[in-house]
Amino acid sequence: MCLAVPGKVMELNGSMGRCDFGGVERELCMDLLPEVETGSWVLAHAGFAIQLLDEEEAKKTLDLFQEWADFEAENTLGPTPIEAANASEAGGGSDGPPA
Amino acid sequence: MAPRLDDRARADALVARIERAVTKPTALMEVCGTHTMAIGHHGLRSRMPEGLRLVSGPGCPVCVTPCEDVDRAIAMAELPDVIVTTFGDMMKVPGSRSTLAKARAAGANVQVVYSPIDALRLAQQQPDKTVVFVGIGFETTTPTIAATMLRAKSAGVDNFCVLPAFKVVPEAMEALVLSPQTKIDGFICPGHVTAIIGVAPYAPLAAKYGVPCVVTGFEALDILEGVAMLVEQLAAGDARVENQYKRAVPDEGNPKAMAITRQVLQPCDAMWRGVGVIPGTGLEPRPEYASMDARARLPVDLPPPADLPKGCSCGAVMLGLMLPNECPLFGKACTPASAVGPCMVSSEGACAAYFKYGGA
Repeated sequence: MCLAVPGKVMELNGSMGRCDFGGVERELCMDLLPEVETGSWVLAHAGFAIQLLDEEEAKKTLDLFQEWADFEAENTLGPTPIEAANASEAGGGSDGPPA
Repeated sequence: MAPRLDDRARADALVARIERAVTKPTALMEVCGTHTMAIGHHGLRSRMPEGLRLVSGPGCPVCVTPCEDVDRAIAMAELPDVIVTTFGDMMKVPGSRSTLAKARAAGANVQVVYSPIDALRLAQQQPDKTVVFVGIGFETTTPTIAATMLRAKSAGVDNFCVLPAFKVVPEAMEALVLSPQTKIDGFICPGHVTAIIGVAPYAPLAAKYGVPCVVTGFEALDILEGVAMLVEQLAAGDARVENQYKRAVPDEGNPKAMAITRQVLQPCDAMWRGVGVIPGTGLEPRPEYASMDARARLPVDLPPPADLPKGCSCGAVMLGLMLPNECPLFGKACTPASAVGPCMVSSEGACAAYFKYGGA
């Protein structure tokens, strides 16, 4: 459950902001990574930015998680963490964070 | 998605490096559920030479959370004017008698949140309720909860509290190395835990016990390279900490996150499901934050705790003593749709990964 997901910080308002995760935008807290700026790529976990990433690494990792998600969609034994994150964003699902 | 040709050539080159370096029976352990999933997904076990075993350790905080913590969360959710909030991963984990999902269906107040910040917000919106957040997690997750506790304190939110069930990874790895039953020649160290703690905490494993440690990424090529670095160290008689995943994990980790964790939480002993109590591998609120410790705040009567269901081998699986498909329940009484043990319940558990990917 320690999976962290790459995203791009779209806006910052004090220590809270909005972050784009491969097309899904959600709230992100910067308390653990105060050096984040708008436009930064970050590794995010449970609603917090935990590490800075460069853009190429972030995109490669998003592709990798998408590949796992595609496999999962064909083998429906339950959601991957990234799907679970998207499901809980939509207000449904009981499968929690990209933890 | 078929691997790109250059990736395939790089994978073949890494496999050749691994084959050259492995000359005796070797067991490498990964202690991160995402590695467990990645090894299964990419079919990497089938690429390993004879004599090299990749075994899964206690890599998932969901799997190692003991029945007692689940029982306590359920009992709290049954109290009047209490809302128990949790990451969704915990909902189906069996306690001694029930799960949070079943308790919710029976009327207990359990809400799934994405972030501990959501739980704090709920507490602010409902000042007449006590909001408990189930604080499970390894070092990746723990600072998000510690930071939320700091926010609660500075905002004066006094109806927010945390049920501490945190675990730390390097100290548990040390306990595994010291266990007479377990033989581990090298550790594939967790990528995202290390993004917080940095590489230094693994140094004693290498220096004191001679077990090489390589912090490893999650792509197939990352894992193959991490394995190659480990077996090459072993072949050379080295035991060092290396970082294969420097592009995402700086050697120093995230010092701010570590400082916040230390500010709010202090070490304690912790019960690992199926394994037992490992001294110093838990975290609980420091005395200054004791008012946010849900255990003191909401005393509950608990049933005598069960540990693992009858016949379940999750303990042996998490110690690397048994492969999931060697458990008599695997794939028969215990499947992801009807899980008996915690390693099958968690989507990143070793048994769930084996079931999904066939142990390749």
